[in-house]
Amino acid sequence: MPPPPHASFWIALLVGIASGSVGPFILLRRMALVGDALSHVALPGIALALIYHFDPFYGVIAFLIAAAFLVFWLEGRSRIPPDAIVGLLFTASLAIGILMLPNADVIESLFGAFPALSGPLLFAILLTALVLSALCFVLAKRFLFLIVSPDLARVHGLGRGYDLALLLIFAMIVALGIKLVGTLLMGALTIIPASIAKNLAQSMRRYVILSAIFGGVISVAGVWLAESFRFLPGPSIVLLGVGFFALSLPFARRGAA
Amino acid sequence: MIRLFQGHMNDDAVLAVEDLSVTLDGDAVLNNVSFTLRPGEAFAVIGPNGAGKTVLFRALLGLLPHNGLVRWRPGVKIGYVPQRFSIDRSAPISTMEFFLLQSPNFWRPARAFNGQLNEELKLMGLTQNVLRKGLGELSGGETQRVLIASALLQKPSVLLLDEPTAAVDAGFEDTVYALLHRVQMERGTALLLISHDLSVVYRYAQRVLCLNKSVVCQGAPVDALNPQALATLYGEASFYHHEHGPAH
Repeated sequence: MPPPPHASFWIALLVGIASGSVGPFILLRRMALVGDALSHVALPGIALALIYHFDPFYGVIAFLIAAAFLVFWLEGRSRIPPDAIVGLLFTASLAIGILMLPNADVIESLFGAFPALSGPLLFAILLTALVLSALCFVLAKRFLFLIVSPDLARVHGLGRGYDLALLLIFAMIVALGIKLVGTLLMGALTIIPASIAKNLAQSMRRYVILSAIFGGVISVAGVWLAESFRFLPGPSIVLLGVGFFALSLPFARRGAA
Repeated sequence: MIRLFQGHMNDDAVLAVEDLSVTLDGDAVLNNVSFTLRPGEAFAVIGPNGAGKTVLFRALLGLLPHNGLVRWRPGVKIGYVPQRFSIDRSAPISTMEFFLLQSPNFWRPARAFNGQLNEELKLMGLTQNVLRKGLGELSGGETQRVLIASALLQKPSVLLLDEPTAAVDAGFEDTVYALLHRVQMERGTALLLISHDLSVVYRYAQRVLCLNKSVVCQGAPVDALNPQALATLYGEASFYHHEHGPAH
């Protein structure tokens, strides 16, 4: 069965919007690098899927959700500095993934490709992306409260469950985009739109909305560039995003960026 | 929800603490602290750095595991005023949005919420202009007043303030305390506050608790803050009354 037409554009649009919606919270929680490293965990999932002949998407989502729980658990232990451990574990999983992957699939897994998905799986990915974006908006207040003042938020009854919810939403969005953007670059897609929007927004509500818009625009434009010039979609999207970021820098307020 | 033990008490205390102890990483940071907070009073907690003042607050709020009893009057509304925001100054969050964290609807706030907010702003001597400012653009004094106004939104019967003037420029400290005094008088709100400033304790607090991991003294400031207690609290060479300078 041939893949549905314009599959890449639809994925780019909706996964881009989802990435943009979750990005501000990841950035404000100073988890940008953790998020980036987290996406590397997908690689062994892809390798296992290829070895045992099931759709890599399922391997990716299983590994990423497990990684989200791991980060959540590490964050709860004050004695261990989480960044170092996250960095080590996740680069190790990248290394393991590379060793397990058949050579032919390495580039595609790392940097993304135009996905050839069945109609139902494509539909499921698009629908999930929509739901996850909506969740970011619905939970924005609670996520923000925990960022602005964790103690105050907890006095108001917000528990660590919301920290876990944010990580899981983030992990699932990364999983949705990995086929198109690749394991090495998908983390960046969640950070770039938020970094651009941060330079332009004066308020949190505008920040999240702008970031979602930039996520969609950059991803669709990146896919279009990649198709036109026969590039890989992942690097095209990321480089275009970095270009937008450079353009947004003069608008950054003092102390921002 | 945080779980606070809300038992029945014989008196009308807002908060009764009995033999509260906290151990962090094997170190006893609070030992057998007991005190009560009465309705509408201003109660100060003083002590040197590392005495466990903030730990005490966090235990009272149910944010730290502890032994002993922390009994809030059933149904009591607690307003907590942290020292500062945990967010960096570059974060694009407007002051209005900080208040909206307590609104049922963050994206489209209701009129009723704005009305209530204006009331608290007025009480804190702030104008609507402050709402448009970013959280990072607020001065120390504005930040503190915004934090207090936000805590007042829920109309609490007790306010917990962790060094409310720590980040406030000298000269504006009195303003903050005068505003807090006004809240106490106009609304009958009990104030439980950590302070470094003994002159503030003398002027505004009805009772004081001196803390250095355990209770060193307790009572009305003029009685409790005697030279022996202050020497035990801060060491022999320290000053015992802020306005009189160092003691010899």
